Amino acid sequence: MGDTKKPDKDSGNPPPRPLNPKQQSRRDFLEGAGTTAVVATAVPVLGISAANAQQANAVSGPTTSIRLTVNGVSHSVDVEDRWTLVELLRDQLDLTGTKIGCDRGECGACTVLMNGTPVYSCSQLAVWVDGAEITTVEGLAQNGQLSTVQQAFVDNNGPQCGFCTPGQLMTATALLNNTRSPSSDEVRSALVGNLCRCSNYNAIVEAVVSAGEKQGGAA
Amino acid sequence: MSEASFSGLEPLNIVGNATARVDAVERVTGEAKYSRDIKLPGMLYGQVLRSPHPHARVRSIDIAEASRLPGVRAIITSENAQIVWGAGSISGGRQYNDPTKEITLHRRYIFNNPVRFVGDSVAAVAAVDRHTAEAALALIKVDYEELPFVLEPEAALADGAPAIWPEGNLCPDFRNNFEPMVSDIGDVEAGFAEADQVFEERYETGFIHNAQMEPRSALAHWQADKLTLYTPSQGISNCRHDTARDLGLEDHQVRIVCNYMGGGFGNKNQNQDADLVAATLARVAAAPVMLEYSRRDDWLGVHGRWPTVQYYKIGAMNDGTVTAMQMRGYSGMGPYRKNSGGISGMDVYGCPNRLRTIFPVYTNRTTSGNFRAPSEPHGFWGIESMMDEVAYKLGVDPVEFALKNMRRPTDDRPFTNYSLDEVITTGAEQFDWASRRRATPGSDAGPLKRGSGFSFMMFRAGVGTSSAIVRVDSRQNYTLFVGVTDIGPGAKTTMGMIAAEELGVPLSQLEVVSGDTDRCPYSVGESGSRTTIQTGYAVVQAAKELKQQIAAQGMPSGSEVLIASATPVPNTDGKTRQCFGAHFVEVEVDTRIGTTRILKYTTVHESGRIINPTTARDQIRGATIQGIGQALHEDLLYDPASGQPLTTGYYRARHLTHLDIPDIEVTFIEVDDGYGPFGAKTAGEAGIILAPAAMANAIANAIGKRMTSLPISRDKILEALA
Amino acid sequence: MKSLININASSISNAVAVAQQALGNGQSIVFSGGGTDLLQQIKDGTDRSDVIINLRNITDASQVASTGSGTAIGGLITLSELSSSNVSAVLAEAAASVGTPQIRNVATLSGNVTQRPWCWYYRNGFNCYKVGGDACFSVVGENQQHAIFGGGPSFIVHPSDVAPALVALNASFIVSGPAGERSLSAQEFFVLPSQNPQRENVLVAGELLSGVNIPAAPANTVSRYHKVMDREAWTHAEVSVAAVLTMAGSQVEAASIVLGGVATIPWKLAAVESFLIGKNLTDAVAQEAGALAVADAQPLAKNGHKVPMTSAAVERTLISLASA
Repeated sequence: MGDTKKPDKDSGNPPPRPLNPKQQSRRDFLEGAGTTAVVATAVPVLGISAANAQQANAVSGPTTSIRLTVNGVSHSVDVEDRWTLVELLRDQLDLTGTKIGCDRGECGACTVLMNGTPVYSCSQLAVWVDGAEITTVEGLAQNGQLSTVQQAFVDNNGPQCGFCTPGQLMTATALLNNTRSPSSDEVRSALVGNLCRCSNYNAIVEAVVSAGEKQGGAA
Repeated sequence: MSEASFSGLEPLNIVGNATARVDAVERVTGEAKYSRDIKLPGMLYGQVLRSPHPHARVRSIDIAEASRLPGVRAIITSENAQIVWGAGSISGGRQYNDPTKEITLHRRYIFNNPVRFVGDSVAAVAAVDRHTAEAALALIKVDYEELPFVLEPEAALADGAPAIWPEGNLCPDFRNNFEPMVSDIGDVEAGFAEADQVFEERYETGFIHNAQMEPRSALAHWQADKLTLYTPSQGISNCRHDTARDLGLEDHQVRIVCNYMGGGFGNKNQNQDADLVAATLARVAAAPVMLEYSRRDDWLGVHGRWPTVQYYKIGAMNDGTVTAMQMRGYSGMGPYRKNSGGISGMDVYGCPNRLRTIFPVYTNRTTSGNFRAPSEPHGFWGIESMMDEVAYKLGVDPVEFALKNMRRPTDDRPFTNYSLDEVITTGAEQFDWASRRRATPGSDAGPLKRGSGFSFMMFRAGVGTSSAIVRVDSRQNYTLFVGVTDIGPGAKTTMGMIAAEELGVPLSQLEVVSGDTDRCPYSVGESGSRTTIQTGYAVVQAAKELKQQIAAQGMPSGSEVLIASATPVPNTDGKTRQCFGAHFVEVEVDTRIGTTRILKYTTVHESGRIINPTTARDQIRGATIQGIGQALHEDLLYDPASGQPLTTGYYRARHLTHLDIPDIEVTFIEVDDGYGPFGAKTAGEAGIILAPAAMANAIANAIGKRMTSLPISRDKILEALA
Repeated sequence: MKSLININASSISNAVAVAQQALGNGQSIVFSGGGTDLLQQIKDGTDRSDVIINLRNITDASQVASTGSGTAIGGLITLSELSSSNVSAVLAEAAASVGTPQIRNVATLSGNVTQRPWCWYYRNGFNCYKVGGDACFSVVGENQQHAIFGGGPSFIVHPSDVAPALVALNASFIVSGPAGERSLSAQEFFVLPSQNPQRENVLVAGELLSGVNIPAAPANTVSRYHKVMDREAWTHAEVSVAAVLTMAGSQVEAASIVLGGVATIPWKLAAVESFLIGKNLTDAVAQEAGALAVADAQPLAKNGHKVPMTSAAVERTLISLASA
């Protein structure tokens, strides 16, 4: 079956061809693989209605005006009813520190503080947080000074890839606000809603415990 | 804290000292920009339409209504955009081999017809916002002719199985021959004839999605004929080359930028179809396009560890000497051969008669591909479960059995160094193996049964040549340019530490520039546990070269700079460079509800000299925990009647949480074999290889029943005990 | 996410009125408490409502209040609040066992009790009984997590942790709708699939669970919620046991035992309850109760493990209460 010229009868895709363009002319490659997308022209050539391509904007869904405070800054903003809080934060307020890992309340990467309590910002509509105070990872450092738990994450290798880190930090911040010096078991229970696929769990718990020891004292 | 190190090595100034990541502050403040965090003016949002059927021919695609939706800017489909995704299907699974990609028989396109799994891409849309793009997908009408499908690898090879490709369902090798992968050493039949006893068992393992926290995305931006892709990549140089080839461009016409990425564990090697789809949408729409995969898109549309079936046959003498080992394996690759389908592990034994035959098989499940130690954890679980069972049946302590039968250096197969005896005996002592192990498996009275298990390994890192550039200016600011990305292990930091050590300057005096193909030289990529040793070796050589320049010319003054580069070819004088490890774990199984709780987990690894003890320790701990998840929970269940996946996502795959995690004890035995940068070897994949086998052996020791199917979930434990 | 309209309701009666208006306009509606699961369902397309009626701004439906005969709890109390309330151990423990802190901080009692099933066929968009189809795909498919009690024609398991606790506490369920308020017993509120395979309770469009009333328990009452999960947290129950016992010394005076995670509705173990009355709660009695609990179990092909698991869970819950 090594005959590469034989048409692939079972496939709607074209028969196999050599695919290294450096061994063939550019034109051959374009015709061969049908890669019209790479022609050097700005004119759209693939399946899209030209008239529509000129239209500026989509028709947005119903919108609502809300006010909220994010990291101490108050915002008035018109939001589409279907926007989630994390979309508002990332897309409209440019606070991209909050991550979307699953968008389903299954991972915890999007955790923010709402009136001081951790919530999944993917699972809140923006219209529901009208009037709320939101804190994101961008709001933890004050005047360029890392918070105690942020510094503990730096010192204890809290982040591996770093994608879950903002969420872990927000939940840990809420814990440390209520429990000055939590035990490792208390940290695990409080942070159970924040997954880490690098599975850096041991280091994260060590970081939060050490932050608690550092801040010490009673609540 | 759980780190310890035994080292007779001379201490160094920077290397070997626990060091905070050079970009730690960005990671804890939200300043770190991941691909999806980047915005460009006029940027559109892209989404992919996926097949709802496990196998179907696309009769037609009607995009009329979708293209009339206001805000839609581009629609590409299998009818109007046929672009080969060279890394998506490669004969023999030879992912880094251009000539093989050229002759590959079973090509994968960015959109395929027929579609061959639930989640196979059919079309993509770019629109002014993501909700419009999503709405447009729903308006694309695809007329499918459903075809018969097959989900299980053994069934796919049976007579009369639906053919996923015209030639059938056995994947072709790199020469396009339809042959299994065979490794035949010695005379296995003679070995069985010699044996006092012969043991046989069937093992099976599930599909494990990489499940990195960052779902795949790609931002494509064309400026004239130059494409810039902001994309999560474990190898920007390979990604650039693959993307250029697939799009008919020269390498220099593609720039890959990846400064931060949210994990990959093997599914962000090379380029991905998302890169090609985003580039094509951006070209058509004449605007930058951010293609966003949902978590489900990522779960089904990228890849995970291949599910396997493994039939073992072992011949042994009554004194515990293994005389023959045979394995016939089947790896479910999904409908495209993205990677090898390997099942490793038998090679850690020295038995002279070994026959291994592996059939990589097409199925109508989602595609299989690399996940951290691609061929190892399931293979080591299979063979070390089998050998553990043989040891107990022969009345031999599994540790003694391993020490007796494991592979050792031979005159014709020398190692750069060998420390497996020390690794195993150190671990057994630290763990207190002699008293924790149940000499009679399942002998605890009562419903809570404890037992201990052990596994061991050697593992060889990937190879490849990298370059590095080092520069110094008159203010003695050093800059290191390396084409690595930091997928989590801390490559930026380790590269900086290696350079600073060799240059004799503090790390704070050195900036590391990485993650951008237009600024950095070629690097092999962050796969195969090879960044530290391969790219790190280039860093050492470039730094040496710079030191020579400084010695010859003095430090630069005024606006002068000195620049040195190196592209050394790593060489181990024909010796095998392996890292070594052993895991010991004690579990308590609640035999009434099937729960497995970990009481103690001890790991001992020899990975050469440790560059950064903190990040190395957490490579072992994290990988081990991933392996525990594979042992106890993770799989992707399919409905047999419809071919639909049922358990996508973190909730359904039961990923481990903070509360499921034991403290993992890590000990490194440090040596310098004289080859790696300062004696470093490899660590990134080591931990995951051993965890499923150690867990399974501990469970067997606790309950007295051998679990032959991964994951070892509660239902299986309760069924076995019923 | 699809386009939708959110309306913030100011009171329960306002919510009901707004719902009626939307329904009158031909729009489909859904009430939202915490919204975590609802937004998942909307994103996944298994809930296609046009209008979300957000109940979070309602301030007078989340209280815990003593009444003459017991305790009234507003349906919008969050699970975090409920888990630290002192109404009953079984209720607090059930609330604390749900999801994660982030979920419990917004999730409500009503939302948890009326949560739709987590059957992987239903949630993956199969055209099953739950969406008006005429099949339960689990019967011949992957049914590891499905019902061993109360199944047929649908075999989903009821997903709530709070509901078994409430049923064990003999709570009544306050339903608010266009016809006003009505109070229903658990038997009236929860609906077997043989009665209506599409829904798990009697609520019809425009009605919501606005609260529960829990009758006062004798002083010598002990209770516990014991949940067996597939990982240490953040899953629904493989099996759970809500047990409320009134004791006279070591002797059981009254017993209420309800299972979660194994049946299509919160599953009351009447035979176990009557068996326990008058018995000294010894290990042997607990073991016998555990065996009796599964006497009527009807496992499917792949969920047989739930039988011994349930038996063990009942036995252990009783033993833990004996020493409570």
